Amino acid sequence: MTNAAPGLSLVILALALMAAAMMVRRARLWRIGRPASVDWLAGLMALPKRYLVDVHHVVGRDPYAARMHALAAGGLLGGSVLALLALVPPLGGLRLVWAIVALAFAVAFIGGTMVGRRRLPVRPARLSGGRFQRLPFLLAAYSGGALLVALDATLGGILGPLAWAGLALAAAGGLGLVLQIDRGPMRHAFAGAAHLVAHPRPSRFEGQRATALLPLDLDSPRLGVATPADFAFNRLIGFDACIQCGRCEVACPAFAAGQPLNPKRLIQDLAASLQPGATNAAYAGSPYPHAREVAGVGGPERPIVGAGAMIHPDTLWSCTTCRACVEECPMMIEHVDAIVELRRFQTLELGATPPKAAAPLVEMRYADEPGGRPLKARTDFAAGLTLPLISATGKAEVLLWLGEGAYELRYGRTLRALVTLLQKAGVDFAVLGEEERDCGDLARRLGDEATFQRLTRENVATLARYAFGRILTADPHALHVLRNEYRPFGGDYEVVHHTAFLDELVAAGRLPVATLRDVSATYHDPCYLGRYNGETDAPRRLLDRLGLQRLEMERSGKRSMCCGGGGGAPVSDIEGDHRIPDLRMNQAAATGAAIVAVACPQCSAMLEGVTGERPAVHDIAELVLMAVETAASRQAEAVA
Amino acid sequence: MRIAVLLSAGRHRVSAHPAPVPVELQAIRLAAELGGEAFGLHAGPAIGPLHDTLGHGLPRLTHLRLAENDDPAPSLADALREGAFDLVLAGRSGQGGEDAGLLPYALARTLGLPIVADAVALAEGPQPGTLRVEQALPRGARRRLVIRLPALVTVHPAAPAPLPFAFAAARRGDVETRPGIAAACAPSEMEERPYRPRPKLIAKAAGGASAAERLKAATESASGGGKLLVEPTPDNAARAILAHLREIGVLA
Ligand code: SF4
Ligand code: SF4
Repeated sequence: MTNAAPGLSLVILALALMAAAMMVRRARLWRIGRPASVDWLAGLMALPKRYLVDVHHVVGRDPYAARMHALAAGGLLGGSVLALLALVPPLGGLRLVWAIVALAFAVAFIGGTMVGRRRLPVRPARLSGGRFQRLPFLLAAYSGGALLVALDATLGGILGPLAWAGLALAAAGGLGLVLQIDRGPMRHAFAGAAHLVAHPRPSRFEGQRATALLPLDLDSPRLGVATPADFAFNRLIGFDACIQCGRCEVACPAFAAGQPLNPKRLIQDLAASLQPGATNAAYAGSPYPHAREVAGVGGPERPIVGAGAMIHPDTLWSCTTCRACVEECPMMIEHVDAIVELRRFQTLELGATPPKAAAPLVEMRYADEPGGRPLKARTDFAAGLTLPLISATGKAEVLLWLGEGAYELRYGRTLRALVTLLQKAGVDFAVLGEEERDCGDLARRLGDEATFQRLTRENVATLARYAFGRILTADPHALHVLRNEYRPFGGDYEVVHHTAFLDELVAAGRLPVATLRDVSATYHDPCYLGRYNGETDAPRRLLDRLGLQRLEMERSGKRSMCCGGGGGAPVSDIEGDHRIPDLRMNQAAATGAAIVAVACPQCSAMLEGVTGERPAVHDIAELVLMAVETAASRQAEAVA
Repeated sequence: MRIAVLLSAGRHRVSAHPAPVPVELQAIRLAAELGGEAFGLHAGPAIGPLHDTLGHGLPRLTHLRLAENDDPAPSLADALREGAFDLVLAGRSGQGGEDAGLLPYALARTLGLPIVADAVALAEGPQPGTLRVEQALPRGARRRLVIRLPALVTVHPAAPAPLPFAFAAARRGDVETRPGIAAACAPSEMEERPYRPRPKLIAKAAGGASAAERLKAATESASGGGKLLVEPTPDNAARAILAHLREIGVLA
């Protein structure tokens, strides 16, 4: 045996010590963040499961990347740890140990080659260049060099000078990797682990959707986030965990529409601004489309948003809060929380809401309704139908929450269909009528937590006066806030979406439906129903009960694409190259379906707004009513 | 420059909830963008949602407390005199009754200030102590005036939209409350009725006219129309009014 093998162990020991020092240096930066309550012990205990199950569930959607990562990371860690163990006297002399080390580094080398094959010769747009482009070479050098040394040790030193060359290569490659720990791609490894332990939404790993925004204490001295130091420390860890894989970028509807938002770049800008004297110069991925000019400087106590800072306000206001980025992120980063916290500061402290978004917020303040329309006109859509008011009896089995869509002519048709179906099925239901205020969704997404909390308290007080079993609504945004976001304010309700409710009624035989033969439809999942609440099956089951031919779009279910209607994006109205609903409608048209089935007033309005030749837009309630009426007329024909 | 913005207790046009008056929020914006020190001034029984004006760009607000139905004019006049303001801004009219409709004129008369109505933009004038006012005239016309300060200027709804509301700024803003001057309102003979929107008068297009002509007639009337008499004798003016009323069929 030559002396290269113990040399390798020593080099790795030195590298490990350096790595630890760099990690500590980076981790100290996280301490600028605000305190947050974290159950460290539970987080640590859960780490293996969170990593092996939850992270891999996301990573595995791209099988090549999953294999690449398993080989590179597994081989690298395994080989390095074993080579370190070889410093313990008897182990270092065993050829078998070095054979295993060699095997591990061989695996890492294959992983490193896969990293290279993915990026070379042409780097896909979603992946970052710069330091990231050097990664495959460093991986290959470190693992290849170490492989040579370990092979040499296994074979009894027959490689001679080649082993020494390997040691030099491994040292150089390893040094390169370690130097990437505080800013380059290797940061994700330790920040990612820390993020999984201290994740701000631990219930995400316990099978819950955990998508409700967290309430803001309106008495705190600064509302929302202005500087990196205003984020809770575990949010900062999250930003550092980003591996710049660009999955969020590919999923983001605003990015696709050419609006100045790229969630990957946003997270990078946030991570970069932690550092004193920070700049955004090192970023080498796709930019914000039509990026607005910013100074690109920051620091722990420096503002994040503004033309003189890191992120332009238009970037914040482009987000539809669709959570597609969160759903795709293998590092479990919470982009939407960050965006909303930044918006809160803009809205509550600076009054810097986009001009067109200011008007609905004012109307909500003084008229409890974003359009400033009379609350009693909310039921006008039902002219000619009997719409029982809950105030008349004080109770009902089902309380129908109408939502903002009730004021729109188009959505009024959907609600008429729903009310007609409820009557046909003999459901005991009632509405609040003019006692229904806006649910506050729009205010909250625009960062106006004060208005959201006021509306919430008043709605909770109203609902407390009546006895009802469940709240039924056709509006997934209302569903989400009533079901998930009213709880901290004392509102705990069972809320059911109309698609699930109609599915129950049809299944129970309370609504006889005919099959709508020769009709093809594709279902567009509303973000706030599918991604936010995990309800993707009931609407599909219901469509299947109607017997129509159901086609799936390229993006569907929890990975569906937003219609562009959420998060106040339509009122913020940030310019892009395309309109998001046009993009989504193209995807729907590509299935060849005659109908896009929708289940949300926003989706309905956005998709109906698409011009030109396109599939028809129908809410599922309208399709069910069609099937019920067809059944009735077929029966009448049969009798005649 | 010291600027006072007169604020009235408004109501939302649809919900009737107490609310700031939009055109006064626009006045706050004009004051904020002109620079200088702005002060809000309200005389009435309670401050209520006028506290929110502090979130629309007004740093401080003085509330002159009055009994219900007291006349705010003497309190405001007193506070304006005492505050030695260079500029007093008011809405051209509030939304209910007489608030800020007649009051600015009454105050201007009491204080001996010049009054300019319907400003949509303000800027510093060419000489110190002057103000450039852009005034809204009917049918979108604008007139630029330079006035010598101090002066009272009323703001037109065509001025830029109010600054968006900032909750924390409202929380930080400063309200000073002090007693106003008790003064009974002059008894009014007016009858009060709920407001009812009235249909617009549409000029008659000749029978059998083409669609384009009818459209022209309709839009012309919507944008004013009629006849402009310059300094007519009362007699001529009355005759013209009567003729018009007969023409549209209000008088037989
Ligand atoms: S929530 Fe949707 S729109 Fe916002 S950044 Fe994420 S993917 Fe883009
Ligand atoms: S935020 Fe997540 S999905 Fe986006 S680039 Fe970073 S790690 Fe990938």
